[in-house]
Amino acid sequence: MIVCVAVVGHQNNPLYIQSFTEADDALKLHHIVHCSLDVVDERVNNPKNLDQLSMRHFWVFFIPLKITKYGYLTNTKVKFILVTTDLDFFRRFHAAYVDAVSNPFHVPGKKITSKTFAERVSTIVKSFGLSSAG
Amino acid sequence: MDPANTPLGKMLLDEITPVVMVLSTPLVEEASLKNHLSFVQMLSPFCSFNNIDVPVRTASDQPYRLQKFKLRLFSASDIRQPNLEVAKEQLKHFISQAGDKDDMFSDPPQISNLLASSESEIQPSWFQFFNKELVRTVSFSEHEAFDHPVACLLVVSSKDEQPINRFIDLFNTDKLPSLLNDGAMDPKILKHYLLVHDNQDGSPEKAAKILTEMKSTFGSNECQLLCINSSHDGPVERQDNPWAPYESDVSPSQCVGCFLNIDDSNEIKDLMQDLSSKHIIPYMEQKIRFLNQQVSATRKGFRNQIKNLWWRKGKEDAVDSPDGPMYTFSSIESQIRVLGDYAFMLRDYELALSNYRLISTDYKLDKAWKRYAGVQEMMGLTFFMLDQSRKEAEYCMENAFNTYLKIGSLSQQNATRCGLWWVEMLKTRDQYKEAAVVYFRLCSEEPLHSAVFLEQASYCYLLSKPPMLRKFGFHLVLSGDRYKKCDQIKHAIRTYRSSVSVFEGIMWGHIKDNVHFRIGQWYAILGMDDLAVKHMLEVLACSHQPKTTQELFLRDFLQIVQKTGKTFEVLKLQLPQVNISSLKVVFEDHRTYASPAAATVRESLWQSLEEDVIPSLSNVRTNWLDLQSNSKKYKESNVCVAGEAVKVDIEFKNPLQIPISISGVSLICELSAGSDGMKSDASSSTVELQNDDDFKNLIPNRDMSSDNVSFTLSDVDVLLGGAETTVVQLTVTPKVEGVLQITGVRWKLSSSVVGFHNFESNHMKKKNAKGRRKSKHSRSDNLNFIVIKSLPKLEGFIHSVPEKVYAGDLQRLVLELRNQSEFAVKNLKMKVSHPRFLNIGNQKNLNSEFPACLERKTSSDPSCVGDSSSSLSQNVFLFPEDTLIQEGTPLLWPVWLWAAIPGDINFPSRLHEFLVRMDVVNKTSSESFQVHQLSSVGRQWEISLLQPVDTIFPSQSLMAGQSLSCFFMLKSCRKSLTSEDKTTLSPVLGSDVGLGPEDTNQPLFDVSSSPLADFHNYERLHQEMSHQGDPNAVDFILISRPLTSWDSETPHLFSHHACHCRQVPYQNSGF
Repeated sequence: MIVCVAVVGHQNNPLYIQSFTEADDALKLHHIVHCSLDVVDERVNNPKNLDQLSMRHFWVFFIPLKITKYGYLTNTKVKFILVTTDLDFFRRFHAAYVDAVSNPFHVPGKKITSKTFAERVSTIVKSFGLSSAG
Repeated sequence: MDPANTPLGKMLLDEITPVVMVLSTPLVEEASLKNHLSFVQMLSPFCSFNNIDVPVRTASDQPYRLQKFKLRLFSASDIRQPNLEVAKEQLKHFISQAGDKDDMFSDPPQISNLLASSESEIQPSWFQFFNKELVRTVSFSEHEAFDHPVACLLVVSSKDEQPINRFIDLFNTDKLPSLLNDGAMDPKILKHYLLVHDNQDGSPEKAAKILTEMKSTFGSNECQLLCINSSHDGPVERQDNPWAPYESDVSPSQCVGCFLNIDDSNEIKDLMQDLSSKHIIPYMEQKIRFLNQQVSATRKGFRNQIKNLWWRKGKEDAVDSPDGPMYTFSSIESQIRVLGDYAFMLRDYELALSNYRLISTDYKLDKAWKRYAGVQEMMGLTFFMLDQSRKEAEYCMENAFNTYLKIGSLSQQNATRCGLWWVEMLKTRDQYKEAAVVYFRLCSEEPLHSAVFLEQASYCYLLSKPPMLRKFGFHLVLSGDRYKKCDQIKHAIRTYRSSVSVFEGIMWGHIKDNVHFRIGQWYAILGMDDLAVKHMLEVLACSHQPKTTQELFLRDFLQIVQKTGKTFEVLKLQLPQVNISSLKVVFEDHRTYASPAAATVRESLWQSLEEDVIPSLSNVRTNWLDLQSNSKKYKESNVCVAGEAVKVDIEFKNPLQIPISISGVSLICELSAGSDGMKSDASSSTVELQNDDDFKNLIPNRDMSSDNVSFTLSDVDVLLGGAETTVVQLTVTPKVEGVLQITGVRWKLSSSVVGFHNFESNHMKKKNAKGRRKSKHSRSDNLNFIVIKSLPKLEGFIHSVPEKVYAGDLQRLVLELRNQSEFAVKNLKMKVSHPRFLNIGNQKNLNSEFPACLERKTSSDPSCVGDSSSSLSQNVFLFPEDTLIQEGTPLLWPVWLWAAIPGDINFPSRLHEFLVRMDVVNKTSSESFQVHQLSSVGRQWEISLLQPVDTIFPSQSLMAGQSLSCFFMLKSCRKSLTSEDKTTLSPVLGSDVGLGPEDTNQPLFDVSSSPLADFHNYERLHQEMSHQGDPNAVDFILISRPLTSWDSETPHLFSHHACHCRQVPYQNSGF
């Protein structure tokens, strides 16, 4: 589930931090979001990552606290940070993909038309976003 | 860079070296204990060789030389796996001690300083020791061979009975380490026999005899004699004691190694060097050759490889225990491992690596995970020492680390050691960021160790390029929390304090507040209240925090303050906030003592009045110097009067959502007696000094002390509700002459903390910013006052001033002069701004009847007439010389009011109301008119009746030939117009006054509509010839109708237009 979303200004000042947990973990989330700015800075300032930068996407793996952070950078240098406990999003996505392309009737390189795949993806997505609301 | 010179290289050359097991008799220990050393301790300082230069050959006969070498000596009883609990307890003790050494009082380090420093400067030095101790907790494990003793040193004293038998007994006891007994290693190891002779026990002749006997029994090469305690002349004084590291074990009064003279230490040195170069190294060299042959015979070659694989495959069903299958020392796997470790210790890294590789796959196939991890670990280190294939080195370390972790908690310590070596490897290659991650992964359930690792991780983030400061701060905080959990408060404070500079000046208030709050709490636990309060102060004005947090912060803060029992004085206390820009000073100087209404009158008016009354100053001044200092002093400072209060309005704001109570709000003032301008400079410099010292808890209270009688201050108590803003009026009343400075304001928060705020510092800044415009300083800004001696305070009233008088009206009024001060006043002069209307009378007039007093007297008094004429010429009235006004005895004096002109005389405000006089003449010979209405044109004017209509037109009509004048009130309402009104303003709009008979109440005519308005506009153009556009001109329209008696068929309406009537002192419009 999504634990927290945050908007951080171009001077790395917090503009909005919203927690979606019941627990009183505002301080922890502040720390986590603040800390992730180091990674953002690193990506932004490293010319090697220019390709990635054009995508304006990156992800941060934060092992010990069992959370994943996703970041998004706008062209005005405003950052959106998403903190989720769903370590497995891409892993589950990957599993679904592997199963789909393992289908002997699937032609590699062609579009994935499997209905089962579509259903699994939507299940994963629903559990990713909605479990917090529930 | 040579890997051997890197920190990790040095560490490995220190830790992975041959172990020598020492077996000694009690008498040997007794002899060495005279020096407060165990026998092992006595030898240990001489086991490290930096230029030993021993020729060695590799297994393939390649010659090389060993320059550096080290032996690790352990007594047999110490050759066992350390007790984990004991080790932890020791580490805890050690960490606590390290914490006590921390400097808790210095300022927290600044980020810029940290970034400029090197690693060793930033980190506490005990980290290294801590890491080393952790590495040692996994010594003497079965699964690795480098801790297995290579040789055994058997030591017997010359005092021992039957020394030869003792030698044999020593090795045959059951006390041998389990490693040798349970088959983990080959018990047949190199033995060296040493006879120790204590020279204090007599000459070594007997010992020499025993040595000969030993040589014949054990072989001449393996036996040696060591004579110790040769110093006969008491304790030996040494410049650099080789045993200094052991000094901490004994009390300082005892001298370590006191009986060992230079000969003894040389003998020990020779002994150890001999043991290394002539025995241990050749022995290891030989063993390497032997093992290498074994391994080649059984494992090298295609046939052997296939065989091995086949055989291993067959064992797949073997038990899957975490330790894997048991390997005895004679198994080929153990031998390969020994070969690898020996080669590593003799620095033949190529050979070591090839054997580690060989055995690694075997262990993996056998699922002997711990051994597999151990070999992977050594492979990684060997790669590092070879300085090749960095990637592979790291991969091996990671693989080993993960494998250890996978086995479970039993191998946690092994994983820790592996991780620490891995970290060092990454650090050597400047991969600090990766090193930090490894430190993070080292964190286990042991919170104290985790705390130290997290702290080390944080420094890695700081040292990484570019530095990751936020992670640095975050890991310090994580570390601090764990230290706190382990009651290592001093360490917790250190880590948190280091993180302060990261969070300083950023917008992340939540984090910053928490850091300061925790530091404050922890300092309070340690009883360091000043520092606790200092940090708590940082979070007090946390308006961004939720209400509960604000309550918590404030409550804890007050608790700490109350616990100290001290009164803290805090500069710029944030509770409540002082709005400096709201500062307003109200005071009366030597010239003005007046009501607020009078104070708002233009200064120039008062000046024009003063000119005649005040004697010219030029007579008083003696020279230009005097003149200048005088004017300067008065320009820069205000003047106030002793005994009269100076009021200061200042705004306080509560930034919190919870109510706070502040008491004893008062001004901080300095009053230096005497009017010397230099003194004020001096006192202002002391104020600036105080500003440098932001935090102080001075108890002496300069201004409030009771013995200070030079001024008095008012006290105000305020309860500020959540987010409330209040203006507080404070007063200071100087008592003596001198220079008064209002330097600031002080208050007491919740009756425990005194806050104060200096005005002057702020004010000074303003001054600098303004620069040249200094002279333009508004008076209220300036908080310097020259206190002059007490003055009389004269108040004047005129009793019952009429609101309305008729032109020419003469009235007698009474002026009352009252003195509020205890100082009497005399030599009064008075000047009136409007002498045309107001005239000062004679004292005699007061008691006599009006107007009877004006009647011609039978006995005229010429003096009275003379008085009045003289005052008229000068415009200044001189009261009689003997007039003295004292406190409580008001002086009554008559004044005359005469309405010279019609109008609204408002001393001295601008005219906004006008009287309009309308002269109407009926020029007809026979007709009578009824005047119907008078209208003013234009919205900005409002006309109204001054008298009832009946009094103007008694007959309600204007007879033929009759002329009449009447007055109206014309009021300007321009000011009340808003811009909206202006846009809709049409030229002909106005106000009307009905003049018809009151009872008929006829409707009024609208002059703003056609045709009246059109006619008016033409008429206006026509009349414009004579008057040039005065914006204040006003137009009037008079409307009249013929009287009903006037016989006619059709109704008539007459309108008369008077345009461009200007506002001359009085209004006269004739029709």
